Amino acid sequence: MKYPRVLQVLTHSPGTMVGVTLVVVHVIATLFAPLLIPFEVTKIVGPVLSSPGSVEHWLGTDNIGRDYLSRLLMGGRTSIFVAMVAITFAIMFASLIAISAAYVGGIYDDVVMRIVDTKLAIPGILFIALIVTGFGRSILALIVAISLSYLPGAIRIIRSHALTIIPLGFVETAKLRGDSLYRIIWNELVPNCQEIIAVEFALRMSSSILTVSALSFLGLGISPPTPDWGLMISEGVKNIHTHTWLVLLPAAFISSLVIGLNLASDGLANALGLDAARGIN
Amino acid sequence: MFWILIRRLTLSLLILFLAAVFVFMATEVLPGDALDVFLTADDLAVMEVEEIEEMRRDFGLDRPAWVRFWDWFSGVLVGDFGKTFIHEVPISEIIWHPLINSLLLGAVITTITFPFALLIGILTGYRRGSQEDIIVSTTAIVGYSIPDFVIGTCLIIVFAVWMPLFPAVIIAFSDSSPGELLAVSLLPALTVIIGHIAHQSRLLRAGFIETMNSEFVERVRLSGIPESRVIFRHALPASVIPMLNSFAMYIAGVLSGLVVVEKVFGYPGLGRELIEAVSRREVHVVQAITFLSATLVIVMNLLADFAVIILDPRVRSLKS
Repeated sequence: MKYPRVLQVLTHSPGTMVGVTLVVVHVIATLFAPLLIPFEVTKIVGPVLSSPGSVEHWLGTDNIGRDYLSRLLMGGRTSIFVAMVAITFAIMFASLIAISAAYVGGIYDDVVMRIVDTKLAIPGILFIALIVTGFGRSILALIVAISLSYLPGAIRIIRSHALTIIPLGFVETAKLRGDSLYRIIWNELVPNCQEIIAVEFALRMSSSILTVSALSFLGLGISPPTPDWGLMISEGVKNIHTHTWLVLLPAAFISSLVIGLNLASDGLANALGLDAARGIN
Repeated sequence: MFWILIRRLTLSLLILFLAAVFVFMATEVLPGDALDVFLTADDLAVMEVEEIEEMRRDFGLDRPAWVRFWDWFSGVLVGDFGKTFIHEVPISEIIWHPLINSLLLGAVITTITFPFALLIGILTGYRRGSQEDIIVSTTAIVGYSIPDFVIGTCLIIVFAVWMPLFPAVIIAFSDSSPGELLAVSLLPALTVIIGHIAHQSRLLRAGFIETMNSEFVERVRLSGIPESRVIFRHALPASVIPMLNSFAMYIAGVLSGLVVVEKVFGYPGLGRELIEAVSRREVHVVQAITFLSATLVIVMNLLADFAVIILDPRVRSLKS
């Protein structure tokens, strides 16, 4: 693969550069947030709803008197963690299932695709709401629900890509050489699906961060008192007429993260010659 | 062609059945039965074992899972979704008005989304690689990156707090007249439309570029037909196929989006009902709403499949 060329294309598009910069800033801020924050995030440390600009609380305090800046900086950690773990599992399993289904074909492929179709018929948030209702509201249930919810879409995309590779000569050669099923999948097919898997990971990652924050906003995701941008917005709405910034700041944080991720993954997809528009679910 | 239609229909029915199995399993089999989900730890602490067993018998939950599934599924087919735990109200009664209200909002969203998506998709696809195309494409990415609930809340801030043109919370009841609901559906619809236009116009752009590069468009061009006719009469029908192929995803996206905007604006639809049902742990209501949504997605997808068969001669002539 021509990675230096990919890097060149990535750095040549201004949109992609903006995206990568946003993601890098967010990653650094999220990683170092525990060292930067002046107050503990769940502790009541000041008066209720104090205005920003004071020496002690730079961005003021929230509706029960917790330091707003600290909560804002820590507000992405849980949802990013949930999205990371869930999508890593989803893409790993999706790749294995998709590639083996495409190669083996037959009844196995049919069964996999009917299950995929079934999941795709159930809208994402309703699917997760169903699982959260059944298994209770916890981080683990959330990770499992999101992982399951993103699995089928990824299977469909990776499978259709694998189907274009399988008729190529080198797969046939490996078969004639007498390679085992396992070796063909692992040594021939997986490396040739790398690019689509990378793009899928990037796209699903940004989409799942949106989903986690939407779920938290709805009261189905991360539970209080954990600081989370989605939750902070739903708490801030109560005082929207007087304290607009309590809503606008977390809104800006979550939006800039997802915009950054999507610009970066779109640039990555373009650089690899794949069409990002068809991969979004 | 007839057999392709029959095949698609059978497949849709199979998927509908599998969706029913999944919805039932996720709430009534794997985590224990509906009562296990409904009762909290606090309830269990104060209730006697005999009391719980009696409740279980009352709701018929002491029967084997497959009997309960069949009972539920045969009810669902005739529109009977069972009763709620609290007050034992028939669920079909609870969700009837919200369903109509959500369909109304979904229809408003769809009628605004597609004309704009078509226009933007053709313009950017036709002038591919131009400055305008890059600007519009980047704006589209930004458009679907901002969470629905953020856009909704920002619209409230602008149009209800800074410029008090609309009320911040919708005052409409689930049995309000369609006219009243239409009047309050503007901001909720606007909230999700931005993302949908962004996404659909990108799909159309991709399809349009592919069609314009194809041999048949080249031939039509060479025959000396005016460019506008080439675009609208010949290229456009073929370009909407990627859009139709992902129509199921669009409908699923609208339904997911409705859950969020209905919560943001307090619109009396299925999404708001769902969130309330989840918080009250009314398993059967959650089941009913999820299954209805899946049905809607499957039916719409089937219609889109038929449209593709009519539009695309390659699919039509496929002998499978």
